[in-house]
Amino acid sequence: MVTQSQAPDVVRVGRVGKAVRVLVAVAGIGLLINGSVRASDDAWPFGPMSQYAMSVPDDAKIDYTRVSAVTDAGTTVDVPLNIEGAGVARAEIEARAGEIVKDPSLLQQVADGWARKHPDQPKYVKLELIRDTTQLVKGKVEGPPTSQVLATWEVRR
Amino acid sequence: MKIANWFTPTIALARIAWLRTVLYLFVILDMHAFVRDTRDKGEHPGLYEPLLLARLLDLPKPSVANTTILYVVLIVACLIGATNYFPRVAGWIVAPAFTWWVLIGMSDGKVDHDHLALVIALWVLPTVKAGSRGITSYGDQTRSEAAGWAIRCIQICVIATYFLSAVAKLRSAGWVLSWPGSAVLTWAIVRRPHPVGEWLLHYPWVLHVMQWVGIIGEFCSPVILWLKGRWQLFGALFFLGFHAANTAILLIHFLPTVVCWLAFAPLERIAPWFQARRSDRDAGKAEDQAEHGRQAEQEAGA
Repeated sequence: MVTQSQAPDVVRVGRVGKAVRVLVAVAGIGLLINGSVRASDDAWPFGPMSQYAMSVPDDAKIDYTRVSAVTDAGTTVDVPLNIEGAGVARAEIEARAGEIVKDPSLLQQVADGWARKHPDQPKYVKLELIRDTTQLVKGKVEGPPTSQVLATWEVRR
Repeated sequence: MKIANWFTPTIALARIAWLRTVLYLFVILDMHAFVRDTRDKGEHPGLYEPLLLARLLDLPKPSVANTTILYVVLIVACLIGATNYFPRVAGWIVAPAFTWWVLIGMSDGKVDHDHLALVIALWVLPTVKAGSRGITSYGDQTRSEAAGWAIRCIQICVIATYFLSAVAKLRSAGWVLSWPGSAVLTWAIVRRPHPVGEWLLHYPWVLHVMQWVGIIGEFCSPVILWLKGRWQLFGALFFLGFHAANTAILLIHFLPTVVCWLAFAPLERIAPWFQARRSDRDAGKAEDQAEHGRQAEQEAGA
């Protein structure tokens, strides 16, 4: 037990302990620098800190991917792409958009996720992967977005 | 030797005790509020795409069984670690378990960048041998180089989160400084619509000022490692303000990094401060009582 006093004790680490600690820290810094300079997100936790790191030109087209659903109640709704909604995050859908276009059956799990989490709500019968595009002109938003259907999936029961 | 000593300053063990409690409880919050889809991924591993670390270690695909066990083990180990009883055993369980938890959570095509400092903190905390257990550990003023190393590692990771994001901004533009003058915040707001952000869309120059302030702050962030006292506090407040602004505009909070700023705070002073306050109050009370006593004597004598 250590009691408090005016001059608290100092516990030092041995030479080997210190050398190992310094080496581990330096190696960790090296991994971080390597990640930032040449690796991708795949190298987590030593990947680049690339959130919002891209330079967006003043005349860019801004894409926003969403999933629209026709329900068995005959309504058309925007699927809430989060864990509480359909159990899939928008970022996951965006990251896999190319795969979904090739294989629209991947959308089935969106319908399954919704049905599982909201058993008392209308079921999805048809899903559409839609891309909204907003045009920038001189760095400012110009007009409402245009929409394009990328993939369609008739939900399996 | 001087450089080696920079990595191992002597810091009171009490700071480690406070960090253990706060960070292990934060992990429980994190599992429910932030990286909260790990168990869902166990049920539906359809989009599972293992990251490098998971492939290197050949970790099994998430299933209901392994994610449920992981969940229970993490909750129990975090609760034990947070008490500062058996903090090292609990800590050596939490570190790999939470790393795996986050690895699964981020194995779906999207990786978040706010967990570096927290994950590394969990790996370095159990390397520190505790001098005392339980409640007394919060007041343990024994200064330790092992504690200092752990604290330094967390601090470096907090700062790296900012500095390296400035590096990433240069890299993505082909090592040119075009990011702060670009429409990146406009792009971000269009994709994350939210009233404060949408209002700012009308004023692109404000967004450009914010981008410049952000990237200059990120580039200068390593200075904070060498600042002391009040100046270090200003540095920390700048970045907490930065996160508050990001939260207001984009609803991006970075709390797992924010909580690790506590590694810079002199938490070891909390217990002595509290004791001093209590003994002041006790002394004050004793004086009051003495005063009352004298009054009573005088009244009795009158």
